[in-house]
Amino acid sequence: MRPDPFPDIVIRGKRMFATIAKLLVKRVLTAIPILLIVSALLFCILRILPVDPAAMSLPPNATVEEVEAMRTEMGLDRPLYEQYGIWLGKLLEGDVGRSIHFRQDVTSLIGSTLPATIELAVIAMVVATIFGLAGGLFLFYVRGTRAEAVMDFFSILLLSLPEFLWSLFLLLIFGVFFEVLPFTGRLSPGFERPVVTGFLLIDSLVTGNISTFFNALQHMILPCLALGIALSPSLMRVLRSSLLDAYQDDYIQQARLRGLSEKRILIRHGLKNAILPTLSLMGVQFGFLFGGTLLVEIIYSYPGMGNLMVDAIRNADLPIIQGAGLTYCIAVLVISIVVDSLYLILNPKLRVR
Amino acid sequence: MRPLPLWLKSGRVQTGLVIIFILAVCAIFAPHLAPNDPNEQNLLSILTPPAWADGGDSMFPLGTDSLGRCILSRLIYGARVALTVAFTASIGAMIIGAFFAHIAGYFGGWVDWLIGRVVEIWLSFPPVILSLILMVGLGTGLRNVVLAIILVDWTRFCRVLRSEVIVLRRRDYVAAAQLVGFSHWRTITREILPGTLPLLITLMSLEMGVAVIVEAILSFVGMSVGSETAAWGQMIADARQNIYEAPFNLIAPIFAIFFAVFGFNILGDGLRRTLDTRLTQTERT
Repeated sequence: MRPDPFPDIVIRGKRMFATIAKLLVKRVLTAIPILLIVSALLFCILRILPVDPAAMSLPPNATVEEVEAMRTEMGLDRPLYEQYGIWLGKLLEGDVGRSIHFRQDVTSLIGSTLPATIELAVIAMVVATIFGLAGGLFLFYVRGTRAEAVMDFFSILLLSLPEFLWSLFLLLIFGVFFEVLPFTGRLSPGFERPVVTGFLLIDSLVTGNISTFFNALQHMILPCLALGIALSPSLMRVLRSSLLDAYQDDYIQQARLRGLSEKRILIRHGLKNAILPTLSLMGVQFGFLFGGTLLVEIIYSYPGMGNLMVDAIRNADLPIIQGAGLTYCIAVLVISIVVDSLYLILNPKLRVR
Repeated sequence: MRPLPLWLKSGRVQTGLVIIFILAVCAIFAPHLAPNDPNEQNLLSILTPPAWADGGDSMFPLGTDSLGRCILSRLIYGARVALTVAFTASIGAMIIGAFFAHIAGYFGGWVDWLIGRVVEIWLSFPPVILSLILMVGLGTGLRNVVLAIILVDWTRFCRVLRSEVIVLRRRDYVAAAQLVGFSHWRTITREILPGTLPLLITLMSLEMGVAVIVEAILSFVGMSVGSETAAWGQMIADARQNIYEAPFNLIAPIFAIFFAVFGFNILGDGLRRTLDTRLTQTERT
């Protein structure tokens, strides 16, 4: 192994993890006020709605007195800030309330749909990363040629197709015209559905249910491809331009003078520097991707949080909208913290003493 | 005749403008172009295929939907909603975003900190989720769709423009303006704004594409304009229900959305290449 060229300047090894832990603590602490404000905003936006939760939770033939009693019971007669305080207190105990429409606890509804959405989002992120890296490298490889202009034009074409059009498009081609892949739900009827963690792919593997595993995987191909392909063009373009930037720097020329192969220069010097801007874009994009799952879930009737959220919106089911909205927000914050930690690991410039 | 300005010579800008022009003509002259009333239901001929296919009816060139409404007419009328939202929402988001970006970048300090935190809170929501929640709060209707998109997307402008303003305010001519005694307002509008304008225009063109997509998404889940107004997202939702019987009904609105978004994107890309002074000459060609 080569000796560390900057032993005194850059923090490495065990102390690097201490630095990352410090960043994590700081980020989690700043996330708390954000979540508080978001929850307050969610609470206020949904309270100005012209729907009466008390009347909705009672049968239609309830008397005015009964509705009033329910209002008092639900705390709707108190001032808004007091209502928010009560709601927040319960939230911290893990109680987001009861769904008016489904007549179930919101926490259990979210708990049963969130794993499906996470599964979808994570695989889609992997797909997006693979397509993005491969496409970016290819765009860089053909730089300065005629093919570049064609590819560049093509990438704008791709940028104009959001995930929800891709989902419909792939569904039409592979589901309807060629009928090679399933496109509704998470499993075909008749398959056993093991429940251990809620993550279907993991559960079916753990319980040794190989046929369920492959069936679930088939159901995920189209939605994950749609999400992944839609995200990849922006990654491609950033990777390409950061590679172009990196190749302007002297260290590339110097590596050439040292007689390194082009492949080695690309991997050890070019890509190592160019991956950083790409990674920080991925942080933002993956947050958006998590929101994009909503539409893809609706199009593929995939039983995740997106379908729950839209059902809730159609039925004006406030507790679910609040709970699911907050869950989406937490997901985005978690993704951005994870990406920031990765950034710290990959970028020694940020770990200077 | 004067020669065309540089940005108009770009093939990309021309392509984008032609596409937007076509859409604008469809939107403005919709009553003259559409072969049928977009809301007229012909329950005797539902889900007819396009005119060129077997069983097609020349009265409905692109076929009919599940209520027997003419697909082509609805597509043409749908351009009205899409373009209205694209223009008004992107102008609104631009004004709010640019205002806060210039204030934050110019004054710095606690103003910048505060605006930065607000943007951070906004970005902790996936845009789709935030716009849906806003639509729940605001209620459906064209005006509220525009409002929701403005309230969600002003941060796109704010984030990008702020860093541009920070670069520009360190320029000598800004310091000179301040020395001469220009007010802050005058320095921002006369000295900094002309410098951020190219980026602003580019971002606005891209935002129009985003607005078309968001409107389609909202009307797809039934949270946009009412059902009496034809919108592309609604057409997709309707066609999704009858995907086996009439797959073509899905292709038409998908293509319309793609066509519009592509027009705005290619225009934005062309403008970026020709207007951005920091791009090198090689990247521009």
